[in-house]
Amino acid sequence: MKYFIEISTFLLLLMLCPNHLFGQKTARPTAVANTLNHLQNPSGNYVLVVSHRGDWRYAPENSLEAVQRCIDLGVDIVEIDIRLTKDGHLVAMHDLTVDRTTNGKGKVSELTLAEIKQLRLKNACGVRGSQFQVPTLEEIMLVARDKIMVNLDKTEGETVREAYAVLKKTGTVDHAIFKANNSAQEMRAKYGPLMDSIIYMPKLWYGNKEVDSHLAAYEKDIDPFVYETLFDSKEASTFKLLPQLEKQGDSFLAICLWDALCAGYTDEKAIIEGPDKIYGWVISQGADGIMTDRPELLLEYLRAQGLHD
Amino acid sequence: MLRFCIVVVAVMFFVTGCQTNSPKPGKDISFSTSPKPTIESLIENLENSLNDEIMVVAHRGDWRNAPENSLQAIQNCIDMGVDMVEIDIRETRDGHLVLMHDETIDRTTKASGPVKDWTLDSLRTLKLVDGLGVETEHRIPTLEEALLLAKDNILINLDKSYSIFDKCYDLMKKTGTLDQVIIKGAKTRQEVEQEFGKYLDEVYFMPIVRLPHPDAQKTVDDYLENRLPVAFEFTVKYDTIGFIDYFDDIREKGAGVWVNSLWARHNGGHDDEKAALDPSVYDWFIDHQVDMIQTDRPKLLLDYLRSKNLHL
Repeated sequence: MKYFIEISTFLLLLMLCPNHLFGQKTARPTAVANTLNHLQNPSGNYVLVVSHRGDWRYAPENSLEAVQRCIDLGVDIVEIDIRLTKDGHLVAMHDLTVDRTTNGKGKVSELTLAEIKQLRLKNACGVRGSQFQVPTLEEIMLVARDKIMVNLDKTEGETVREAYAVLKKTGTVDHAIFKANNSAQEMRAKYGPLMDSIIYMPKLWYGNKEVDSHLAAYEKDIDPFVYETLFDSKEASTFKLLPQLEKQGDSFLAICLWDALCAGYTDEKAIIEGPDKIYGWVISQGADGIMTDRPELLLEYLRAQGLHD
Repeated sequence: MLRFCIVVVAVMFFVTGCQTNSPKPGKDISFSTSPKPTIESLIENLENSLNDEIMVVAHRGDWRNAPENSLQAIQNCIDMGVDMVEIDIRETRDGHLVLMHDETIDRTTKASGPVKDWTLDSLRTLKLVDGLGVETEHRIPTLEEALLLAKDNILINLDKSYSIFDKCYDLMKKTGTLDQVIIKGAKTRQEVEQEFGKYLDEVYFMPIVRLPHPDAQKTVDDYLENRLPVAFEFTVKYDTIGFIDYFDDIREKGAGVWVNSLWARHNGGHDDEKAALDPSVYDWFIDHQVDMIQTDRPKLLLDYLRSKNLHL
């Protein structure tokens, strides 16, 4: 009888927590695993939402609360900027200085973590202060774990090693997407085999005169499964590479933030002209994910189109 | 039966609101399904201090989704079903009134300097920045443009306007929005009557009272007895201030009670940031007879009040 209770409790627990049945050994059936699956197996039936600096309309940019809000909304990937403090810690900060987004002053690289933790983040446009602190990458990854993927910006081939150490420590190596404009050769020379242990998304920038060979070198060496595309017009060399990416079976993100990043198909235009004209066009070009400053608007649109959970 | 009538009226507002809306600025589809009151019902609600409807005032417009103090920020409030939008007014070098919070344009544009050193024409060339500091297509509006957009759509509260009361009055008169605008100031009845008495029969004036204040009771009672204002704006530094218990009497006597949920020193710590984590923080306002709330989270507050049947 004693065993019966124990066994039935165990069975009941299994029924209540189906996720644990297929636990850590196999792929975790979490939001993160789903996102990764969509990135690795682009289908055209699902478009990923990448929220630029977190939902900065709701909470300060690059704050834990802006990340949490993305999780609550159902965003797939949150883009966060990472910089190194004077004493070697990685914190989330877009600008070189803390001037715009906090009540303090100075370069991140000239402030210690303790000094930065004294500061308070400002709300969008500095409308007013908040009670929130500048988070470390570690704090961000702990909030993100099992909930949302994180796209690390401003690592730019500079702080990949430091960031990787934090990912290892927090068990989130498969949650983070690194990216840079640097060439495959540069990245390999600098980081060696580490490049094979991280998820890496090369940027395809329209200003790169040799973007074709840039892409070819990546395909040959690192063979990424996702690219970030930047095209200032439909004439841009990078725009013409989109069909090739699709043919290779790779996924790519379109960046709808500003005119020069996505041939003028921006979030702001989605407000004025309606999301179908803007996001619809971007999707028709084969984009598997969209980086946005309007995650709520984009999610609402994609869900209505049956292109998002 | 009453509940039924309210529902019928709400549906009517909703239907008429949808039909008559053809805004100039873009339309954020996220807000398009919100019920819209008529301007008559907004004014009636403003003047009625006894009903259960709580008015939502959006601080600087919907600054999360458009630049603060822009026409789009006002339009978003209209689309959301906000009752009143608070905007800040400053005078240019050549005597025009424009929307701008700070004394300078440094924070909200890529240019710099005090508004009073810029002419209207030169200000018009600038673009307002978004929450990331990136330029948008939105420009600095004049008060006249803002009033015309608000006309018949939403109530307006002018901040930083007391010293330019007469200039604001002229534009309200010109645009036919006298009955839609509240001007405010931290002034006693005697002061405001002496300075702008000739306008007070035509314009809604709202005294600001900063609590705790030794003369609060005297100032408020003097207004209530001799010049009943449409509402009082109270800043409530601590939620233990005894004067809070007087709010229900003030409403009984016919004036509304306005408290900001913006940040802690306005409301003894029952602020929007806490409400973002738990909207029941707004219960403090409801429980203390506040019937006008100025907020930095209009969408959150509207959703909460609607869930409690305290807003259309």
